[in-house]
Amino acid sequence: MSMHRVRTLVALVLASASAAPASAQGTSVLPIADAKARVAVEREIARAQAKGLPTQPLIAKAMEGVTKQATGERIRVAVASQAKRLEQARALLAPSQSVAELTSGADALAVGVPAPMLKQLRAAWPVDRSVAMPLDVLTELVARGIPAKHALEQITALMKRGATPSQIASLGTSVQADVAAGLAPDAALEVRARGVMSLLPSPAAAASLAPTGSRPPR
Amino acid sequence: MIRAAALGVLLVLATRGAAAQALPELRFEAGYASLRQPGLGELGGNSTADAALFAVFWRRPTDRWTLYTSGNLTYARDSLAAAQGVAAVSFPWAEFSPWRTDVGAAGASFSLRSAGSGGNGNAFVRQHYVTDRGGAWGGATVGGTTRDGLWSDASAADVGAWGRFNFLYASASVSRLFTSDQLLFETAGLVAPNEPGPYELADWQLVLQLRGGPHDLTGSYTRRRTVAGADFGQEAYAGSVTVQLTDRAAFIGTAGRQLADPVRGLPQADLVTAALRLSLGPKPLPVMQRSAIAEALVTPVPGGGGDLEVRVFAIDTLAVEIAGDFSGWKPLPMEREGSFFVAHIRLRPGKYHVGVRTNQGPWRAPRNLARVRDDFGGESGLIVIP
Repeated sequence: MSMHRVRTLVALVLASASAAPASAQGTSVLPIADAKARVAVEREIARAQAKGLPTQPLIAKAMEGVTKQATGERIRVAVASQAKRLEQARALLAPSQSVAELTSGADALAVGVPAPMLKQLRAAWPVDRSVAMPLDVLTELVARGIPAKHALEQITALMKRGATPSQIASLGTSVQADVAAGLAPDAALEVRARGVMSLLPSPAAAASLAPTGSRPPR
Repeated sequence: MIRAAALGVLLVLATRGAAAQALPELRFEAGYASLRQPGLGELGGNSTADAALFAVFWRRPTDRWTLYTSGNLTYARDSLAAAQGVAAVSFPWAEFSPWRTDVGAAGASFSLRSAGSGGNGNAFVRQHYVTDRGGAWGGATVGGTTRDGLWSDASAADVGAWGRFNFLYASASVSRLFTSDQLLFETAGLVAPNEPGPYELADWQLVLQLRGGPHDLTGSYTRRRTVAGADFGQEAYAGSVTVQLTDRAAFIGTAGRQLADPVRGLPQADLVTAALRLSLGPKPLPVMQRSAIAEALVTPVPGGGGDLEVRVFAIDTLAVEIAGDFSGWKPLPMEREGSFFVAHIRLRPGKYHVGVRTNQGPWRAPRNLARVRDDFGGESGLIVIP
């Protein structure tokens, strides 16, 4: 057999594998009672996988639908929507490809964070640092009703000052506590961001900590 | 005969409406009722009537208030019809307060498709004190009824208490009624035409209910005596059963004697009803019910991550479950601790969606978490663990 034929055969096998229903890839455990709907959901997952998207958040979305007793068609639409958001997040967060970052990006888009803001947030940190946590905090703050622009400004300011993911996450926790105590979300964010900022090194020191060549644009 | 049937139909309407008020979401009920009014037969009227029932119930809870309304439409075999509507609001005095106030009004019209007509209007206010194991209430109702142009008014005051012992619920109440509605008691064979009233009545009632999941079996005993205006005493037994057939369908059956209710214009009758309840349409918006308020608290643990504690204030609730990303959306039972159901979950740093539900109801977000739409018409709570 010639090398060309071998390559063609491998390509065909790979193509057929990626086009196969997700049931052949370990997702047949989806407990969707309606067999037709289950196949449709598995097909959505297989389609996403063929595009190189992570399937784990899609399976999680399907399981959420099952638990919430959604119809098969509604689960399929939800999985397709999540896949679309993951694909959009992958483009916006490039070159990030981790499941956590793509999932965080997709969830940020789901709550209404404008797409360009994902790019801005990605640019605030070197490409080798995960922006999953900052994205999660941004999502939480926007879901609380804080304008996305304001939330992004505060978070990126902290990122550029060298805040750790844990410090950024604690910002969200503190805002939550303040809101529960009766403070307006916007005001709580302002105060808490200032508090975290006071613990961080000066801008000059933070800049010197960033790896050469991967420093975010100013 | 027309008047008898109209009164009977109205009785069925009110009985169904009262049963529906304990239900959440948008529901429809359809069924059949058979009525018997022996006292009316003795007066030369038709003592029995069959009726088809249709009822709609809708409830909209918010963080603090619950607004609910219901409508009933009934057609009897001799082409009579009746309609009833109820609108009420229920609200606690403060978060986690055991004090709750119910205020509402109801209106009914009957004999819509026949000669003669009538109607009833009433309004009520009731104050509740609710704890984990029991509660008490006191309230007042005023109403008026018109039949073929004859007006009569009525008022009532009642106090009661209830207690829960595992799956058994028991309540006892006493009430005092004042009314000038002679026709109501005359058709029941209780007063003579020369006893025009007004009447003062004293009732006491005992209700026992067994609850198992979504099913229940209820029995009641009522004793009535006259204080002024007439001289008679009565006893009445009634029972009902609710069997949840599927997530969306339930069978409801009732049988027994309903004593005349002058405030709502309901005649005395022996009745048997069978109805099918369907839960259709959108579920209520995913906010916590008044009686089941969930809150989430995170305690950071050394080395990252945190302990998520979710507490659900859920009086009068049999089971509370929690689910989320952390469980692969598999529901996990929460443990009862006094008036609360509690779950403790160790989580690694990251973002999690959280949902809580009571008694197999809709999934809701703990109220102090950020809320996000879930792609399924509901929502989840969102929490970020440092």
